[in-house]
Amino acid sequence: MTDFSLISNEALRGEIEEFVTRPAEIERNLRVFSRAHPRMQAIALAVIEGEHHLCDRLTREALEAGHVAIEVMDDGLIAGMGVVGIKFRENFIFVPEVLACARAMKSGMAHIEPILSASGVPPAGKVVMGTVKGDLHDIGKNLCIMMLRGAGFEVVDLGVDTAPDAFIDAVEESGARLVGMSALLTTTVPNMGRTIEAFIDAGLRDDVQIMVGGAPVTQEFADDMGADGYGKDALACVAEAKRLLGINA
Amino acid sequence: MSQPISPMTSRQRVLAALRREPVDRTPVCNPTSVATVELMDLADAFFPEANRIPEKMANLAETSYTELGFDTIMPVFSIIQESSALGCKIQWEQKDNWPTVKMREPIWRDVEDIRIPPDLLTHPDTACVTEAIRILRRRHGDEVAIIGKTMGPWSLAYHGFGVEPFLLMALDDPGKTMQVLERLKEVTIAYGLAQIEAGADALTLPDHATGDLVSADYYRRFLKELHAEFAARLPVPIILHICGRTVDRMPYIAETGMAAFHFDSKNRPDESMAAVCGHCALVGNINNPETLFARDPEQVEAEVLANLEAGIHLVGPECAIPLQTSIENLRAIPRAVRAWHSAGGGARCHHHDHSHNNG
Repeated sequence: MTDFSLISNEALRGEIEEFVTRPAEIERNLRVFSRAHPRMQAIALAVIEGEHHLCDRLTREALEAGHVAIEVMDDGLIAGMGVVGIKFRENFIFVPEVLACARAMKSGMAHIEPILSASGVPPAGKVVMGTVKGDLHDIGKNLCIMMLRGAGFEVVDLGVDTAPDAFIDAVEESGARLVGMSALLTTTVPNMGRTIEAFIDAGLRDDVQIMVGGAPVTQEFADDMGADGYGKDALACVAEAKRLLGINA
Repeated sequence: MSQPISPMTSRQRVLAALRREPVDRTPVCNPTSVATVELMDLADAFFPEANRIPEKMANLAETSYTELGFDTIMPVFSIIQESSALGCKIQWEQKDNWPTVKMREPIWRDVEDIRIPPDLLTHPDTACVTEAIRILRRRHGDEVAIIGKTMGPWSLAYHGFGVEPFLLMALDDPGKTMQVLERLKEVTIAYGLAQIEAGADALTLPDHATGDLVSADYYRRFLKELHAEFAARLPVPIILHICGRTVDRMPYIAETGMAAFHFDSKNRPDESMAAVCGHCALVGNINNPETLFARDPEQVEAEVLANLEAGIHLVGPECAIPLQTSIENLRAIPRAVRAWHSAGGGARCHHHDHSHNNG
């Protein structure tokens, strides 16, 4: 029997009860939020509700009250963004709402990042992301980046119209072991395969995992071009990133 | 029992289908781009010039009728013509890619920034389309339906503000968003009227309030009334085009007075027919990336049949055809339509339409 009353914040409890339906995800959220301090639950709720001014203030207050940055990030901001991803995947919310939630998350992370950076806490993983050459569309890639950052990843965002060499340079400069490529146009999907070939030619293919996604991309296309992973949406992108880097969910 | 229908020209067939009247056979139509690299070679008209030079635009566009056997000609291969005239920066690309607005370099930040330039209709990139329509009308007379394209205000706002800033504006400040749409609707109307005056029989009106980005409620709150206004003020059949999952907003679309909705393969033909409930025609919805681009004619024909059996009024690709699509796959569409009607499917189709008109 699922005991939602373990989550003390009533509004947060309502969010989990109403929008999280998969047993494994219910269990994970109960595990995280039942042990989370009420301040962290309030921060998570501010992210879920896209309240960036509130999230900014609550994060600052939590740090001032003596909570450590990693706790605020994991139990507040990241845990909240996890619920946002589920609501987006299940079509309870759409892109404008996700953008507002990501803005809230960012307002909190602005307080957290300098502390983590100074203390040398490593990110969950490092990913190079870009829309491939010839393609100027970035909303899908940006949603993936929001969810990746929301899950604690450090992301190097190469933007749009990214040449194969730019992906390679970014991997060499950042030391990232995971590359994500996006395309919206059928005309530019082949450039994903060309970028993978460029990694082979540069002798770097064995050093990186490569995942692909975008409206015209399918698992079949991903397999044909030799990608290591495919995500059909932003939440699947995070799951693929964790799988490819061997990070436990 | 349906009466036999006299043979129709392509133009008569398309216009009748857009009015949901009986047709001699289901028309084959793509209200978005039919350009492919193979067709560019045949017409000796290549991107990017075919997007900017009227003669080349017309030469490439008419291949849908002369080479593929479609019932429509649609000379606009991209969604950038009026955005270029509005001042957006364009990446024109080459033969193997579509031109695109550089949305990461937005030209507007607020309502007051929106200026509709006096040369909106005479700018080379908008005038190219109206001139191409005139050329096509002269060449083809009344044989074939010529469809123009005027972008809706929601899509124009993506181009001018950038997708993310505009979507956040819609959430944060609905009042300002409505002001933006009200201002931009005059572009939609003016460019639509110019193409009608040049000889367009119908207009595609892309306005990408897709389920991949926003909820159906956004469509209801921001666009339903505006789209009804377009249907009322533009005196030809309007074909609304929205990519992606849209079945949740089709009932609203069906109430706007739009003649037709061009729908994506993410929506099944039967559920889409149920959603519009006989209040507008449907155009579509053969899958582009997985079928037309990547499969063979047999799979294309199977999707055509699924549309015909569902009673879809005009059959064709779901959106702009991928540029590397084979001519063989495209020719399979009209071939499958004709074969279905020859086998008696047409009688079922007329009966289906008739019952909708009375329903």
